[in-house]
Amino acid sequence: MAGKSGRTISATPQKSILKRLLSWEGALVLIFIAVLVMGRIMSPYFTLDNVLREMPKYLAEILIVFPMGFVLIMGEIDISVGSIVCLSATVACFAGNAGLPFPLVMLICLATGLACGLLNGFILTRWPELPPMIVTLGTQIIFRGIAEVTLGSGGSLSYVNSKDLGILSKTLGPFPVAFFVVLIAAAIFIVVLSTSTFGRKLYAIGSNRTAAQYAGIKVSKIRLIVYALAGLMAGMCAMFILTTTFGANTTTGQNYEMDVIAMCVFGGIATTGGKGNLFGALLAGFSIVCLRIALGLINTNPQLILIIIGLLLIISVLISGISQMRGKKIKKKKA
Amino acid sequence: MSDELILELKGITKIFPGVKALNNVHFQLRKGEVHALMGENGAGKSTFIKVITGVFPPEEGQIFLEGKEVVFKGTKDSLAVGIAAVYQHPTTYPDLSVTENIFMGHQIKNGPFMNWKAMHAKAAELLGRLNADFDPKSEMGTLSVAQQQMVEIAKALSTNARIIILDEPTASLTANESKELYRIVKQLRDEGVSIIFISHRMEDMYELADRVTVFRDAQYIGTYDVNGITTADLVKAMVGREIKDMYPKPEVKIGDEVIRIENLSRVGYYKDVCLNARAGEIVGLTGLVGARRTEVMESVCGITKPSAGNVYLNGEKLKIKTPKDAMDAGIILLPEDRHKEGLILSWGLGMNVTLPVQDKLAKIHFFNDNKTEREMSRDLLESVDTKAVTIFDPASSLSGGNQQKVVVAKSLANDNMKVIILDEPTKGVDVGAKAEIYAIIGELALKGYAVIMISSEMPEILGMCDRIYVMCNGRVTGCLDRAEADQEKILNLAMLEKGKAVEQA
Repeated sequence: MAGKSGRTISATPQKSILKRLLSWEGALVLIFIAVLVMGRIMSPYFTLDNVLREMPKYLAEILIVFPMGFVLIMGEIDISVGSIVCLSATVACFAGNAGLPFPLVMLICLATGLACGLLNGFILTRWPELPPMIVTLGTQIIFRGIAEVTLGSGGSLSYVNSKDLGILSKTLGPFPVAFFVVLIAAAIFIVVLSTSTFGRKLYAIGSNRTAAQYAGIKVSKIRLIVYALAGLMAGMCAMFILTTTFGANTTTGQNYEMDVIAMCVFGGIATTGGKGNLFGALLAGFSIVCLRIALGLINTNPQLILIIIGLLLIISVLISGISQMRGKKIKKKKA
Repeated sequence: MSDELILELKGITKIFPGVKALNNVHFQLRKGEVHALMGENGAGKSTFIKVITGVFPPEEGQIFLEGKEVVFKGTKDSLAVGIAAVYQHPTTYPDLSVTENIFMGHQIKNGPFMNWKAMHAKAAELLGRLNADFDPKSEMGTLSVAQQQMVEIAKALSTNARIIILDEPTASLTANESKELYRIVKQLRDEGVSIIFISHRMEDMYELADRVTVFRDAQYIGTYDVNGITTADLVKAMVGREIKDMYPKPEVKIGDEVIRIENLSRVGYYKDVCLNARAGEIVGLTGLVGARRTEVMESVCGITKPSAGNVYLNGEKLKIKTPKDAMDAGIILLPEDRHKEGLILSWGLGMNVTLPVQDKLAKIHFFNDNKTEREMSRDLLESVDTKAVTIFDPASSLSGGNQQKVVVAKSLANDNMKVIILDEPTKGVDVGAKAEIYAIIGELALKGYAVIMISSEMPEILGMCDRIYVMCNGRVTGCLDRAEADQEKILNLAMLEKGKAVEQA
């Protein structure tokens, strides 16, 4: 039905393949390929087998990229995930060493992560005006503190029945189990974000929290779920970390939050909320991981690797920042 | 006022990529006159102001100051010759003191140090000149919008401005505050300052201006003596067509009571508010700014929690804790601040419209039904006659009037709506779009919605409403029927309990 003036409005979406290729995700595909080619040129040992052998501990980290993407798209941040990994791994070690059956140990590990995430979510939704950065900084210190107290003076604890962990470090063909877990998690999180009402609500909250609330979105409920998910996935990460470290110590999961946020931002997710997608974050995650493995294979100093990744991150936000500023300038002129 | 020109702009053309924002416009400002600049949103008034202040250097045209041609490359140049602008939304620093705000950018210094004593003294003097009754040491954020505007004017005076540009200064002011502003403007005029005044409100122009210049679609339409032109002719000049009926209030058969609010109170905000609205009825809720009208409706819609009282819908008592509960029951609030509360500006229009109903439309209660959403939002946007090309246009690209239409379309997306509450629906909307929005409100009543309209604008309240509730200091002080209501009665009720505020929490 047309209005009184007979004006009609088009509702046909314009899908442009060119536009898609020119997007940041398109660029990330190229970057990913470039990393693989460079790795191959730099080191003859940069083969599928070697890469996959190095992969599991990084794969565990990528598991947290997905919920972190949710948090960032909501315009918030959770810097406690690294400590949640540490606490969950510690609890799992205690549970395993107490002789509990392995499936129960896994469940306890996930439950620990979930509980930590729920605590974050509870604090932030009970007092919605608190800044997430500070609250999760607080819980970051608390969670790691609890782990350190529990680990005692030694500061580390081995997982005695380490053969139990074998089931998680198995390979299917050349690929480790963690690889498939990451793919399944990626599929679920990407589908939820891009096609579900839940995903749309995340973008709405990140773009304008007040307007989202006025439009009838239960903002508190969604925030609670997202922080709980971050905790749960950190718990899952902890299980896979144990398969590579066979124990927990006070540095387990340290700086994971920063790695994961870096992957998200490099993948085009704006920390101001409302922008970006997980496909980009996934690509960025794998690019960074492959770059790390390649640099590791040619015996690059680990500190140098950090510098390179830091530079990459700044360049990526610079690119999106410049394009945004340009867009704004044009808009401003029009107004 | 003399006939001597202080400022003249000739043949100004300003081109932005793809748009001619100003097309060969002229403007003459006499010494000591108040000159109104009018036109619809998008007519080019704001761009024109920015040409005068040097923010946008024009592609073509000349600017003459007292007969001599000048070129402004930035606001610094225009400030140096005594041109200052006071914008609609004061760009102030809420955490700093009034003095600091006044002297921001041109502080008085003793060598490298701030000379606070001199600045406070000068600020006090400037405020005294404006008859302002607040301390220059008070924090900016604690002042009302009207007081902040005075600070902005004081800031303009502190630069010894000879020409002051006021961009929609009365948009956020109450009737009384507007009167105070009128007094200040007249005083400045009498002191010899020339004033350019932009406003959508006809009252402002009649009260203040000597002459009025009209722009339309980036073109210069004409300059008129205020006493020599009728309102109808002026509106025609602005809109480009005749508006026959500004307030198309339809004859609606009013049905049963839909919503009843009983003794609603919120400690520190409002007390014992009772009101009701019937199907097909347009109920006005008016009062001075600060009468707590919005606060009452926010509680009705679950945004804040009332401390006592009940809301009944079709006789049933409601338990509303969140906006979602209100919507599920059939009550929706279209908030006053479209940018902060009403719309997600970066999103397309379509997604904005269907945001409240995406859950209802979703497949297996989880996956977005994009196709249905697109068609639905298109139909709704067309039904309110939104000026847009596609439903994917970002909401930020529309004018205020069209954004308001999108907000209305959003409320219509939910087919179980019974009560539509509009908070200042025509704030920041130009004359032409106002008439369209009134027509839409009339249609809502025809469709059988109970419409509650919060508004400070007397003409629209008197023109559109069947009944008018008046609030003052958190209490309903009266309810007038359409037939008996007039401006004087409303104002009397709006100031009835002046000074008798609801006890603070």
